[in-house]
Amino acid sequence: MLDIKTLLILIPALPLVAAVLTAALGAPILRTRSHLPVVAAIALSSVASLLLLARMQEQAGQGRGGQETVSLWRWADVAGDGQNAARQEALSPGHSLSRDFRVDVALEADSLTAAMLAIVTCISTLVAIYSIGYMRGDLGYWRFFSYIGLFVFSMTMLVSATNLVLLYVFWEAVGLCSYLLIGFWYERPAAADAGKKAFLVNRIGDVGLALGIFLIWTTYGTVDFREVFAAAGNSAGDWRTTVICLLLLAGACGKSAQVPLHVWLPDAMEGPTPVSALIHAATMVTAGVYLIARCMPLFATSVTAQCAVATVGGVTALLGGIIAVTQTDLKRILAYSTISHLGYMFLALGTGTLLGVTAGMFHLLTHAFFKALLFLAAGSVMHAMGGVIDIRRLGGLRRRMPVTHWTFLVGCLAIAGVWPLSGFWSKDAIVLAVQQRYGSGAASTLFEALFVTATFGVLLIDFYMFRPYFLVFWGKERIPAVAGGHAQESPRVMTAPLIALALGAAGVGAYFAWTGSFARFLAGSPSLAGLGPAMGELPRSGHESIALLSTAITLVGIVLAAFIYLGGPQRAARLARAMNVIGLYSLSYGKFFFDPLYHALVVWPLLGAARLAAWFDRRVIDGLVDLFGWLPALVGAALRPVQGGLVQFYALAMMLGLLAMLGLLLM
Amino acid sequence: MTRFIVPRSKLHHMTTATLRLLMPEIVLVAVAVAIYLAGAFWNGRRAWSWIAGAALLASAAILWAQTSETDAGGPLRIDALAWFTRWLALGLGALLALLSSRPLTAGGTSEYVGSLLLTVAGLMLVASAADLVLLFVALELISIPTYLLLYLGRSDVARRESAAKYFFLSVLSSAILLYGFSFLCGVAGFARSAGTPHAITEFAAVHAALDGASGAGQGIALTAFAKLAMVLVFAGLSFRVTAVPFHFYAPDVYQGTTHPNAALLSLVPKAAGLVAMVRILVDAMPAMAPHAWQMVLVVSLLTMTVANVMALWQDDFRRLLAYSSISQAGYMLLALAVALAGGRESGEWDGLATLWFYVVVYALATLGAFAIAEHLGGPNRRVDGIDELAGLGRTRPMAGAMMAVCMLSLTGVPPLAGFWGKLLVFGGALNTGAGVVGQIVNLPSQVNNLPHGTQWWFIAAAVIGVLNAAVAAAYYLRVVAMLYFRTPSTTLRPEGGRGPWFAAVLCTLLLIAAGVYPGPLLRTTTEAAGGPRESTAQEATASMPSIFLDHL
Repeated sequence: MLDIKTLLILIPALPLVAAVLTAALGAPILRTRSHLPVVAAIALSSVASLLLLARMQEQAGQGRGGQETVSLWRWADVAGDGQNAARQEALSPGHSLSRDFRVDVALEADSLTAAMLAIVTCISTLVAIYSIGYMRGDLGYWRFFSYIGLFVFSMTMLVSATNLVLLYVFWEAVGLCSYLLIGFWYERPAAADAGKKAFLVNRIGDVGLALGIFLIWTTYGTVDFREVFAAAGNSAGDWRTTVICLLLLAGACGKSAQVPLHVWLPDAMEGPTPVSALIHAATMVTAGVYLIARCMPLFATSVTAQCAVATVGGVTALLGGIIAVTQTDLKRILAYSTISHLGYMFLALGTGTLLGVTAGMFHLLTHAFFKALLFLAAGSVMHAMGGVIDIRRLGGLRRRMPVTHWTFLVGCLAIAGVWPLSGFWSKDAIVLAVQQRYGSGAASTLFEALFVTATFGVLLIDFYMFRPYFLVFWGKERIPAVAGGHAQESPRVMTAPLIALALGAAGVGAYFAWTGSFARFLAGSPSLAGLGPAMGELPRSGHESIALLSTAITLVGIVLAAFIYLGGPQRAARLARAMNVIGLYSLSYGKFFFDPLYHALVVWPLLGAARLAAWFDRRVIDGLVDLFGWLPALVGAALRPVQGGLVQFYALAMMLGLLAMLGLLLM
Repeated sequence: MTRFIVPRSKLHHMTTATLRLLMPEIVLVAVAVAIYLAGAFWNGRRAWSWIAGAALLASAAILWAQTSETDAGGPLRIDALAWFTRWLALGLGALLALLSSRPLTAGGTSEYVGSLLLTVAGLMLVASAADLVLLFVALELISIPTYLLLYLGRSDVARRESAAKYFFLSVLSSAILLYGFSFLCGVAGFARSAGTPHAITEFAAVHAALDGASGAGQGIALTAFAKLAMVLVFAGLSFRVTAVPFHFYAPDVYQGTTHPNAALLSLVPKAAGLVAMVRILVDAMPAMAPHAWQMVLVVSLLTMTVANVMALWQDDFRRLLAYSSISQAGYMLLALAVALAGGRESGEWDGLATLWFYVVVYALATLGAFAIAEHLGGPNRRVDGIDELAGLGRTRPMAGAMMAVCMLSLTGVPPLAGFWGKLLVFGGALNTGAGVVGQIVNLPSQVNNLPHGTQWWFIAAAVIGVLNAAVAAAYYLRVVAMLYFRTPSTTLRPEGGRGPWFAAVLCTLLLIAAGVYPGPLLRTTTEAAGGPRESTAQEATASMPSIFLDHL
């Protein structure tokens, strides 16, 4: 039978093989069948992930340590320099570099990894199947599936890496896949620019991550997660740990599109919609959440770092929600919603309690389902409407596209948190965690404010999700001209994944929350071991007052949206005017002007400096170089008359040269 | 007064052993004379080239048969350098014969071929001479047929002018050289002790005289005379090596003559001059080395700098290659300076091994370039301007590529052989310069008997040399750019025949082979460099300069 180690290797290996195969054979042989290897491989990977999950649970049930490591090969092995270690010891006692620098290409399965693997591969499978229909006929069909395979490989490697260096490698690899897929239609300038923007903004965060890894190495003398955590446990509360955590947070902010590095994600919607669903909603953007959850033992020692994470999350949740309210592009609404929900996850992680971390991971799971569902449903609309996704140009599609309509509705209800759909459970868990935190831990004022923010955010979620729902699927039927004659339900290959995801979005939350198994299972991860059952016992969602409060808010939000957007355009305009009294509408519609701000503060100064440098290089440096280049030629020109052609002169020169040599040597 | 004294007992030895050892040269001279004579009656044209080839082959066969024989007595010195130079001469002779295999239109083919054989024999003899008189005769055996060669083949004013210039200046340089030799004889005779087996014209006598003269008042006078002789000899040989300021003839003469003649002028006299310099400066008067290296170093830097800046202005192909050949002589002299400054134990080795390596690589690239130019010409048409090569890389890809290889090798671009030449020259200078610098470039410093402070001369020389190489790249790459980045103005019809083509292919292949795998050539030249001091080749291989060799 397949043991855990084999499964752990198979999960990333299958998509990699498929990706290489598709890249090699896609264009010449597979052509319109290019999806076959990748879809099959990802499907097998997801089966393997679920098997792995079952095995892990089995082991956890038997009380055996839920951790399995498989080392593939040693990547780097630099022997520690004894002298260096002594110097380091003298400089800062207790932190020595005496250990060798070793990086293994090794995979490890604990409950956190197993959960991430299952989420990533299952969502990927459904999205890949959906893509068969969505991408049909595209010139880059094989290229698309090759990238997807590469992404699944990278993402699964990222969540199973045993050390920070390997994690960084695949952190960059998923970034590369993201870049390639955002710019998939690279002949469109907007797509190419968006890819570039995503790459550059991520780079800023990655610098933070790299610095964090460097600092971890110099502080703890190792990059292996387990060893780092062991070392961190011994030196709790060190200021270095806080700096490390803040640097890791910077990396996570880039990848997970948190304020202030969130600006790339809305633009990333230029990529194909399945990519938006898979990479920019369900999986890759949660890598930052995973990183922080994985490094929880570090964050647990620093209240400052926890507050930073929570603040970033809270601000992002609020900001993303406010912006999403006024956007008109359905995919961008979903993108800002993703930013906002990632903010919720950060907020949960920032509490630093077991309840908070499990709630954050639980929300990651449910969000993966309902956000992928919403994106794919939006893609289905887009597919039918000839690429139009502006909600002002659509309307009353519920009759033409019943499956899309129903699944979108399930997604909206799930994201809004209507009982008993999944969003209800995970969001309540987060709000509960924040509430518990301000009751007990340090920095309670901050968390009290964040609690209010989170609760208000729930109202925004309902409003901004039902606004497009009502506009697109209700009201007078409006179909853009470009849709032509094919404004109808999408093919079975696209609707089937929608239905599967809808079932998941409806069910997973209730299932896990009811049984409490998700939190219990996750708590077995060594990364979460130090947190302990902070509330006396393992957390259970469904704290009654919170549930009642959020349900009430949810209903208010939905009714408000229905009142405004089912009642005709003048109500919406009136609301906008009312909001604009304090400038809120403009702020939201202008996305809080982050982009112009960055242009003014970062892009233009940099461009200006670059132009100046280019001018200096061309005029001054090149000029100097040219001058030096001309110097020999000028000397040559000066010497030319000497070569006059007269044999008498040549003889004279020879004799003079001889005399000069004699004179110099005999003197 | 001193007289030429040849002990009677040695005369018999000379008449048998010496003649046997000189058989390769004798064959060449004999065939040359036969061709001269027969040419008066029969204008064989193509046949003469075949006969010359056969003579070169016969000479090589004889040389092969006696490879193990050496002789350290009498007027001959058949040591490792002699073997190396004789094989080099035969190789160059063969390539030059291929290059000039196209019959001359104006007749005189037999004279041409005969003269070519004589110059080859002269070069072989230069390396074998251990005696000032024989050395001078050997050098003239190169010069006099060269005058003839320059007159043959073309009949216009430019040709006559170039031949006349070469003749007058060559005679002048020979006079200077002879004057220097006379001082050397004086030195040898002055300090001659009774009972020595050497005649005063032998290198060994000069060597013994200078070694004996140390310190005393007599010694100081002797040293002054030796210096005078050294400068005169060096000046006389510098004409052949085309070192500044004895180089003026080269651009005018090359421009006025044919491609094969220019190739011969840029190879045979240069190699002969360098061999003679090594014989006199390194072998005959090692005691003067502390003075010699300064002189050689200064001339070397002057030579490469002047030639390179002048070359930037040239549009004529042969004139450009003339300046190229002058500047390359500068690098060769730098290697010679390194050899002279080096300790007698090891440094000398590196310098000379580098020198011979550089000579071979330079010869191949220059011959290749001239061969392609000759191939592109025709019976009544020559390639003169560089711009005639425009677009050759596209119209004649093979010829263009070969020309590019030759130019890039002259520039010193890896992976061609020229790169190793430059690396060895500049690396050797740095190594001589200072232990500190030697460590930076990871060369074990072997040479440290230089007075402190003068080490910086060599570091400066290496820097100037590298800058010069950069300047030189400008005009070599100009040719390459002409080949590939210009649209062809005229279509060249290659009518040069198969001989030049074959020579060009051979040169190009060897350049690439020696660039990719320089070990064998470097080993050979190291062996040759070992010769001047220890005449057994075996010891030479045992103590090869290990710096680069170990890794190649």
